[in-house]
Amino acid sequence: MNRREFIVLGGTAAVLASRGIALADSWPSKPVVVISAYPPGGTSDIIARLVADALTAKYGQQFVIENHAGAAGALAGGRLARAAPDGYTIMISGSAPIAANKVVQKNLAYDPQVDFTPISIVAESPALLSASASAPAKSVQELIAYARANPGKLNIGNPGAGTKGHIAAAIIGQMAGVQINHIPYKGSPPLLADLLGGHIHFALDAPSNYLPHIRDAKIRGLAVTSAKRIPELPEVQTVAEQGLNGYEQTLWFGAVGPKGMPKEIVSKIHTAIKEWSDTPAAQKKFASLGLTPVVNTPGEMAGSIEREIRSIEPLVKAGLVEPT
Amino acid sequence: MDIFNGLLLGFSTATTLSNFAYCFAGVLLGTAVGVLPGLGPIATISMLLPFTFGLPVDTALIMLAGIFYGSQYGGSTTAILMNLPGEASSVVTTLDGHQMAKQGKAGRALAAAAIGSFFAGTVGTLFIVIAAPLLASLALTFGPAEYFSLIMLGLITSMVLTSGSLLTAFGMALFGIVLGMIGTDINTGAARYTFGSPYLLDGLDFVVVATGIFGLGDVLMNLENERSRVVGVAPVSSLFPTAEDWRRMSAPILRGTGIGVLLGVLPGAGVLLASFSAYALEKKISKHPEQFGKGAIEGVAAPEAANNAAAQTCFIPMLTLGLPGTATMALMIGALVVQGVQPGPEILSQQPALFWGLVVSMWLGNLMLLFLNLPLVGMWAKLISVPYHFLFPTICVFMAIGVYSINNSVFDVYMMALFGVLGYFFKRMGAEPAPLILAMILGPMAEEYLRRTLLISHGDASVFFTSPLSLGTLVVAALLLLSIVSPRFRKVREEGLQEAD
Repeated sequence: MNRREFIVLGGTAAVLASRGIALADSWPSKPVVVISAYPPGGTSDIIARLVADALTAKYGQQFVIENHAGAAGALAGGRLARAAPDGYTIMISGSAPIAANKVVQKNLAYDPQVDFTPISIVAESPALLSASASAPAKSVQELIAYARANPGKLNIGNPGAGTKGHIAAAIIGQMAGVQINHIPYKGSPPLLADLLGGHIHFALDAPSNYLPHIRDAKIRGLAVTSAKRIPELPEVQTVAEQGLNGYEQTLWFGAVGPKGMPKEIVSKIHTAIKEWSDTPAAQKKFASLGLTPVVNTPGEMAGSIEREIRSIEPLVKAGLVEPT
Repeated sequence: MDIFNGLLLGFSTATTLSNFAYCFAGVLLGTAVGVLPGLGPIATISMLLPFTFGLPVDTALIMLAGIFYGSQYGGSTTAILMNLPGEASSVVTTLDGHQMAKQGKAGRALAAAAIGSFFAGTVGTLFIVIAAPLLASLALTFGPAEYFSLIMLGLITSMVLTSGSLLTAFGMALFGIVLGMIGTDINTGAARYTFGSPYLLDGLDFVVVATGIFGLGDVLMNLENERSRVVGVAPVSSLFPTAEDWRRMSAPILRGTGIGVLLGVLPGAGVLLASFSAYALEKKISKHPEQFGKGAIEGVAAPEAANNAAAQTCFIPMLTLGLPGTATMALMIGALVVQGVQPGPEILSQQPALFWGLVVSMWLGNLMLLFLNLPLVGMWAKLISVPYHFLFPTICVFMAIGVYSINNSVFDVYMMALFGVLGYFFKRMGAEPAPLILAMILGPMAEEYLRRTLLISHGDASVFFTSPLSLGTLVVAALLLLSIVSPRFRKVREEGLQEAD
């Protein structure tokens, strides 16, 4: 490389770097795509839409939701991984495509720990084990007894292979020593429809979609996966209370961008989410959905992703969650 | 919510200034694309879909629906005046409609078509009001096995009732299923038929395929006869049907409406089949079958009523079961999903304003169409004389913009071009693309439900036959297939569909 080339190269690098800063300064100068990994109406999608609305209100640019449901969010994750890291494509989703899929899905087209930039966790919630009106069990104990009496016959639906519903059910099976058939759905709404129709008898999923139907006594809440009961369903016991001591599983929902997203934009989105989730309106909305707002830093979110993956690996190794 | 309150809510939703305006814009545009050959409702709705993302969900759906049923009206205008079906479902209207025009009865034929369509549209919307809540309450009894059987019925219906050879239709449906398989497997995340291209990991967007085959394909096809094209517009005289006309068309309109209402609900059948069947029925039961094809008003009124009735009632399975019976309905589902509304049994309780607003807007839209199409028929006739060398480049540009704006992907524009050439090839070969598009949409759904059914039943396939609903649906599908083998039905089918060619 001669001197002239060196100068040209240096100049180009400077221009590129300044373009990166300019990009972050003017962001968002056009509509931002927010990928939602599940079909409309599920908890994950509702959160994505709430955050998109909040960001639209703050920046005056449209944050447009795009649903890419299927393969427990892996379709959406793949789409995000292929997007340009210019801050105009982000994803808001439950933890499966951001963490669990890495170990649960053999054919995952991306590595969430390499191909994504963590932005922030948005909310947490326990999972809910619910049963159809005609289900052969009315409690976790009866469910386990049914599985023992009918080996290989217990079906539990989840909103996608590798979702927290799937993992949480697998851990019940592991702790109770029974076999469970996991039936993956394309998100919560179709699972709920089949549960209401009695086509599947048990579902393990985020609670918000199920609450109104439990109040109408169309389906039954069997247990929550948190350490404590939840205020929306005070009469529903925890899994631990029903004999599986120490059982606790939490769902989380978070925002991520593609690999190499400018730090300035990450921090802009993170700050906006934090400001919004502190407002009384957001707090009220979260409570009505059975969610707890949790906003952590991008660095902390990377830790959450790492812990989630580590906690699932032993299940996969033990053959309780089969990689698909 | 009872029907009365529902209709009240619907009126208050549909008559807001913006909804009313978009409804008008929808039916106006629908009439225009119905009139213009080379541009049908599928291509138009595909193009406009991205532009509706910024609208409220009820407004978006009201406008898109208006385009769809509006095109059913517009299609008949060119069919009658120029012997040119502006839209596939008005093919049969050319048979008697244009003959009437040649005999100087163009105005009366147009009136018969418009009045028949309006009556059918009114009955169709009423039928939605009654049947949709009923089906929604039944929807929960539909489990994965029932959905799978229903989808099979839809696929088989679309094959059996397409014009041309059955083997071709079967091949087209299979090809459609394969196209639908492209992308990432829904259960396991495995990449299928992507040939290592990251662009195909998300699968083919069917809007791209539909715009290519139906939009670009039609444009290419119409270019063939551009030089030899003679625009002969029959003059329009009196628009008022005579007493004799009224007497002859009342019963056919009623029967056409009945056929259309029922066939619209059947997945896979759609508006095209409704108009064919209505025409065939009228000819069969008429005391003067020899007049058909020579300007029988029954042959205009019945199919036009049928296609418009079906255009309304095909919304029922889409809204209440989330099951798209036609490609247009799949586009509507796309429009709803983008806005965060999942079609399904819950839509009536969760989105009452959307549901009732749409139903009422359909009736209002039909009323607008009656006035748009009869007094203003001369204006639409002028539209057809726009030279193709202005029209087609404009259409191509809009198609490219529409397809590009779905994913901001140039790859999609190339794909559209590819499917445009394929669509032209299909038309030259006489292969009807409707089963391909429907199979591309329904194939992956069938796969999802089949796998789920077998997972739940632990691999036992007998569940398809132990559920009465599923069994009944499969029996109907099997009868349809068997009927093809029967030489008698085969003859009827060939006669019925040939008349349309």
